[in-house]
Amino acid sequence: MKNYIFLFVSLLLVACSTEPEPIVYGSDACDFCEMTIVDKEFAAQSVSDKGKQFKYDAIECMLNDHLQKDTKMAVKLVANFHDPGKMLEVDHAKFVQNDSINSPMGGHLAAFSTKNPQAKKAGIYTWQELQLKFKE
Amino acid sequence: MERLFIILVLFLAVFAGHASEIEVCKTCEISSIQKAIDFAEDGDLIRIKSGIYKENGIQILNKSLKIIGENYPVIDAEMQGTALSISANNFSIEGLKIINVGKSHTEEFAGILVSQSRNFKILNNKLDNVFFGILLEKSNEGVISGNHITSNARSQSNSGNGIHLWNTNKVEIRNNKIVGLRDGIYLEFVNNSEISGNFCKDNLRYGLHFMFSDEDIYTDNIFENNGAGVAVMYSKFIEMRGNHFRKNWGSASYGLLLKEITDSKLENNIFEENTIAISADNTNRIEYLKNDFKNNGYAVRIRGACYDNFFKENNFLYNSFDIGYTGRLNNNEFTENYWSAYTGYDLDKNGIGDVPYRPVKLFSYLVNRTPEAIILLRSLFIDLLDFSEKVSPVFTPANLMDSQPLMKKVSW
Repeated sequence: MKNYIFLFVSLLLVACSTEPEPIVYGSDACDFCEMTIVDKEFAAQSVSDKGKQFKYDAIECMLNDHLQKDTKMAVKLVANFHDPGKMLEVDHAKFVQNDSINSPMGGHLAAFSTKNPQAKKAGIYTWQELQLKFKE
Repeated sequence: MERLFIILVLFLAVFAGHASEIEVCKTCEISSIQKAIDFAEDGDLIRIKSGIYKENGIQILNKSLKIIGENYPVIDAEMQGTALSISANNFSIEGLKIINVGKSHTEEFAGILVSQSRNFKILNNKLDNVFFGILLEKSNEGVISGNHITSNARSQSNSGNGIHLWNTNKVEIRNNKIVGLRDGIYLEFVNNSEISGNFCKDNLRYGLHFMFSDEDIYTDNIFENNGAGVAVMYSKFIEMRGNHFRKNWGSASYGLLLKEITDSKLENNIFEENTIAISADNTNRIEYLKNDFKNNGYAVRIRGACYDNFFKENNFLYNSFDIGYTGRLNNNEFTENYWSAYTGYDLDKNGIGDVPYRPVKLFSYLVNRTPEAIILLRSLFIDLLDFSEKVSPVFTPANLMDSQPLMKKVSW
């Protein structure tokens, strides 16, 4: 009996976990634009307070989706352009917008780690600045 | 006198028509392609004999050349950047085999890169193990035909597109075969172009992908077993005719994905064995005429905000769901379609069923809200549920129906 209670409680805990699931490239679809996620250097993902997973093929999709939804997100991650496949917390990332960056949905956006020396260069935004920019 | 005349003619032929022919082979005087290009003048023909040429970053700048490969000479870029890049008017590239183009996540390396060019032909080339196959930037009025592009995007999950056009107008893409890239054909800001007779298979994402492209036509293409068949996004005035979408299976898989597209027409297309044949989101004023939907999970799944779409004389054959619907009904009209699931009768024998057909099942409404419910698909309870909903619609839109369902299949 005790075992069952333990199982039940642990299931409850698992169900509410806000741990981000890894993106399966080439198979998962973007929750905003429905495109299949293939680019490891532009992907983004978030997990809501209640543990619902959202995956995006581009940073601009995550921005637009969050603007439409009222859901509170516990985790927000973006791909590190310099290390494709690795995800960064949005608060630990700097964002560059430049026409030479061909992100999947035409936002010309890429994220870099703040630890990256290049991130100090001009034309960069923090997540908060970017959110304001997309609201316009 | 006659001899003198012949000599004069020959003399003129050599000097007046200054277009000369340059031969490239391993044992020739000119043994590298780049050297031949540097040596050539406007209007020359370069004939490349078969053999393996380990060259990359070959450049043609502002020279109108005709390059012909004999028996598919191989250009091996040895995984170092772009193989051949061209910026010129009036040129043609024919019969080359280009392999091993470098991969990168910051730069777009291609087998053949064309930029700022006009009036060109890229014919019957073979490209294998490439990052991008044929990449066009800011170039107009060209033909890309008969090329065969293959790569290994599925196993690498990192690849460029087979034929990639950006900021380009009036291009014809015909009879190419593209297997195993990211998108078979990708168009971004491409207007007034025609895509016909291509075969796109086993591509990681889409067979054909439109982004922000208007007034294009695609006809008679086959899209098989891609991540999804075709995606038309943020575009208008697109004509889709005679295409064959088949075997796009998987949770994120569609035969055709329409997103934010208006004023377009789908005619005589065949959708066969797709998880979702057409997924439409934010599509307005689209005409669906005489298409076949055969053995799909969903034939048409309409998501929110689709206005004034018109379905006429389509065949809906043996799909699990004919129409899936989320949101409200927005002025979409169904008339004179053939539905294999129609169980009505035709007493006056005019070929049109006497009772309207409601293509949205209650169960599809449930599945839309709770996708996991799909495991109940063939259960008796669901059949009862659907039947009771059919008799008195409560959840499904009451006026979404075909009031003139055909008794016989439309043949076209």
